[in-house]
Parts: sequence; C-alpha cells; structure tokens
Amino acid sequence: MTTLQTERRPRRLIGTTAWYVTALFVAAVMIVPLLWMITIGLKSGSAVFEIPPRLLPREWTWSNFIDGPKAIHFPRLLLNSTIITALSVLGGVMTAMMTGYALARLRFPGRKVWFYLFVGSMLLPGVVGLIPLFQLYKSIGWYDTWLPLIVPAFLGGNPLFIFLARQYFLAIPYSIDEAAKIDGAGHLRIFTQVMLPLTRPAWITMAILAFQASWNDYLNPLVYLYSSGKWPLSVGMAAFISPFAGKTPDWSYYMATNLLYMLPPLVLFFVAQRYFIQGLGSLGSTTQK
Amino acid sequence: MNRSSRPLQRGNGPGRGKGLSRGAGSDTVAAYLFIAPAIIGFTVFVGYPLIRSFYLALTKYNGLADPVFVGLGNFRRLFGGDPAFWPALRATGYLVVLYVPLSLILGLALAMFCNQRFRGVRIVRTLAYLPVVLPAVATITLWKFILNPEVGLLNTVLDRLGLPTSLWLQSPSMSMPSVVLMMLWGVGGTMIIFLAALQSVPTELYEAAKVDGAGPWSAFIRITLPTISPIILLQVILQTTAALQTFNQPKILTNGGPGFSTNVLMLSIYNNGFPNLGRIPQLGYASAQVWVLFIVIIAVIALAAKFTSLWTYSDNTPD
Repeated sequence: MTTLQTERRPRRLIGTTAWYVTALFVAAVMIVPLLWMITIGLKSGSAVFEIPPRLLPREWTWSNFIDGPKAIHFPRLLLNSTIITALSVLGGVMTAMMTGYALARLRFPGRKVWFYLFVGSMLLPGVVGLIPLFQLYKSIGWYDTWLPLIVPAFLGGNPLFIFLARQYFLAIPYSIDEAAKIDGAGHLRIFTQVMLPLTRPAWITMAILAFQASWNDYLNPLVYLYSSGKWPLSVGMAAFISPFAGKTPDWSYYMATNLLYMLPPLVLFFVAQRYFIQGLGSLGSTTQK
Repeated sequence: MNRSSRPLQRGNGPGRGKGLSRGAGSDTVAAYLFIAPAIIGFTVFVGYPLIRSFYLALTKYNGLADPVFVGLGNFRRLFGGDPAFWPALRATGYLVVLYVPLSLILGLALAMFCNQRFRGVRIVRTLAYLPVVLPAVATITLWKFILNPEVGLLNTVLDRLGLPTSLWLQSPSMSMPSVVLMMLWGVGGTMIIFLAALQSVPTELYEAAKVDGAGPWSAFIRITLPTISPIILLQVILQTTAALQTFNQPKILTNGGPGFSTNVLMLSIYNNGFPNLGRIPQLGYASAQVWVLFIVIIAVIALAAKFTSLWTYSDNTPD
C-alpha cells in the first residue's frame, strides 16, 4: 500500500511501471473478449470462418444488428425477460423487506426459530427442490407458464435478501419506531413511511441482486418452460447457438444480438455501480464480526 | 456466542422487551402477518421439496405413474452399476479442485492489486468486475466461440504470439481446464468480496508492522491473512458449493463431452430427470443423485464450519 511511497525513487518507478503493466494486462483480459465479440457481430456470416481469422472485419456489416435480433426473435425474448425479471425483483425485494423488518424490529415468539430456518435454507442447494417442484407445478398446471419463475420470489424465495434486510434493519435506531408509535402509527405505517425511505440503499442493492439473478437464470426457465414463445433471453439465446440438426449457427448474428442482451445489465451497472459493489461487499463485512 | 445469556423465547409471551412494544399481542400478530409470505414460501419451496425429494430418491419414478418404493436400490445402482456415475463424480471433483483454489488465489491477488493507490485503479477494478455483471449465458456463449480451435480469439492470439494452440473444448484432456478457464474470467466476483475484507483491515496494523521493520511479504502473512481469514473461509464455502453445482458452463459449452470429460453431476442429474423428447425421465434415480450432491455439499459446509466460528454473526441481535 503505502510502502511504495517511502522507498527510494528508482525502485518506486519500477514498482509503478510493474503495476501499470499488470493493470494493462488485467484490463486487456477483461475487455478484449468483449471488443472481439463486437467485431464478430460486424462481420458477414462467412467472414467469421475465414482462415486465418482477421481481427477486424473487412466490410462492416451493420445490418447484423437488425437481422440478428430478428432471426433470434430478440424483441419477444426481451419482453418476456423484462416481465419475468420485473415481477420477481418486485416480489423478492418486497417480501424480504417485510420479513427482515419483522425479524429485526418486532418481538414475537418463534422469532429466532424462523430466522434460523430462513437463513439455514440459504445452504439448501436449489437443485434439491427441482424435481419435486417440477412435479408440483405440473400437477397444478403451472408447467410451461411463468409462474414458477415469479411466484417463489413473492414468497421469500431468496433467503440471502431476508438476511441482508434484517442486518440493515438492525442498524436503525429504535428510538425512531418509538417516536412513530407515540404519534400513533401502526406497524404498516412505520414500515412503509418510516422504514422504507430509511433503508433505500438496502433495497436498491437487493433489487440489483434480484435483477441479476432473474436476468441470468438459465436452469429454471430451461426446466419449466417448454414453448419457445415463452422463453426468456437466457434460454432463447442459448438455444440459437446449440447445434440443431447439424446446422452451424450464424455467429455474427448471434454476437450482434449478444451485445444487445448484455446492454441492460451493463447500463444498470454503470448507473448504480456503488450498489453492485455494496451488495457483495456487505456479504464481506457483515460476516466479519 | 452469547446464546446462554439469552434463552430462546418460547412461550414466555411477547412484549417483554425494553419498551419495544406496548400491546402484548399486537406485535405477534403483526409480525406473523409480515413474515407470512416467507413462511408459506419456506414450507412450499424448502420444506416440502426437501422431504419429497428424499422420498423420491428411494423410489423408481418416471413422473407419470406413481413412484414405486425401491429402498436403497437407486444408490446401489449409482455406486455399483451405472458406468456414467463415477465419471460424473470425477468430473465434478476435477472441476472443484481446479476452479476453487485458482479462483481464491487469483481473486485475492487481484483484490490486493486493486487495493493500492494508483491513478486508474478504479478503472481496473470496474473492468475486473465487468464479466460478473454480464448475463451468464451471454459470456458463456461468447467463450464458446473464443475457444473455437479454428477461428476463436484464443488460438488466434496464441498463434500470433508463437505459442502452442489447443483444441480446447474439443479435446478430452483440455475440455475441463477450458471450462474452468472460462469460469475464471468471472474472478471479479471473488475479488470484490476480498476487496471489502482487505479494506476493513485497520491500517494502523500495517504501520506498526513497518515500524517493526516487517517487509510487505511478512505483513501479508502475519497481518493480512489472519485478519481476513473468516472471509477466506466464507469464500471457500461459497466457491466450493457453487462449483459443485456448476451447470450452465458445461451445459452450454460442451454438453458433457467430449466423452464424459465434462459431464458433471448437475448435468447428469438434469439429463436423467429431464431427458430429451422420446426418453423416459428417471426422476427417482435423478433424486438419488441430487442427494449425493446434497450430502457432499453439507459435508463441505460442516467441515468448513468446524474450523470457524463463522456462524456466530447471526447472534448479534439486540434483545
């Protein structure tokens, strides 16, 4: 850290140079694959398989950005993904906040037991529920609908969020509840009008984590959705490039569309970077007590 | 931690706290209304499947006819008769052994690297985290093409640098390392947690060490590592359990091939439980596999918890 600043000048220069060389390497490893993806998206379908491969396209096929999404049915997949993600974010954040509030700020018999049960279920691998739930959904007619992807979120489906919400609620001084109660506010009013504004960073962080989880989810929609018209982006995109009937997928179409698929999380990341870092960081700091 | 000083409140009635509530019963009713969704969810999505899945593991079940109880038959078949099960276990183990240490070492190294005061460090940090933000399917499919032996980016670059190239995903010996290589592109996720841990190490410790004449290496061994050891342990648990459940990468990159080289347990479960059209699902058998995986995961967590007081964090409730 600060050791470098006290060393003699030439050694410091070497240290700085070494740091920047490494930084350049790290940056290249992270960014070059993405730039390369864009160049593939700009090549014509046959130029992709030219040998030896060229790094830059000979002619820039901008039309891939229109034809590609059309071939993959991108608009419909995007709409599906948007609806599924929006609802599961809403449900996940809402129920986690409610549960966290009760577990942190209300006292009732069974509070500890429920806390340990909820948090303990974090350890349960998702795959354990896959087969029984698949059969359950099938028997109540939820197979091939979006309900298995949305309803669990409204029922406290992510115990990590419950844990994070509770941690955050614990840090708020109790005198605030007292004051509100003296003013005659009930729990619902305290929760919606006092607590929710105070815990904004917590639920924004959770919303981002929930967005990522739902937008990226592949296994669940793959198992629960059969008709391609209901697929979200993850399944639809992966299906386009999986070899089907021996046909080679059109990679330039795919990569052009892939860029569009990456854009929403990318924009969100740059708008709300601090919350992304906070989300995982809070995992690092809450456990370090 | 201090559980002994605070017995679990069971039936002593609510409202005994320090003025948190006035009406005795009102908090209980309100609280249960607030946590009702989570309780329903816990019952339906955790409790029920856990029991049901255990039962199914002991049955022969194709999803259409009723399950037939076969006792430990599925497990006997797993460990005795199935030629695909041991390769699946081996592939899963190989993935964990390759991925977890590399992810931890690279993640910590990257976190240390990004925890220094240089102009532009924020850009490096952001870029290193970028792959984690992108949709998993988008990055996996991108890497499927990067690893293409003829026209992929990796062989193109290696070739231009005069380095040996590889068949990557198409070679039985390189397929799993290739999958791990792809997964390591997301090392930023490991880095971020380490970074938060590093930033909470008090700087006075380092200053004191410097006064005592300690070099950067001994400061790392004697201050950094011990201070962040709970986080390292947490990371070992998180990464190992996640690696044991790896599905997306082998499913999209190789679909288990070539041969059985990347046919990890999760993929095997998926293929047995949800096979392609025309084949009969073996839900009982797949459930038995799920339980093998589950027990391995529990064993990992139990082993890690033995070495730590990690779970004490949940005891800091104000009562």
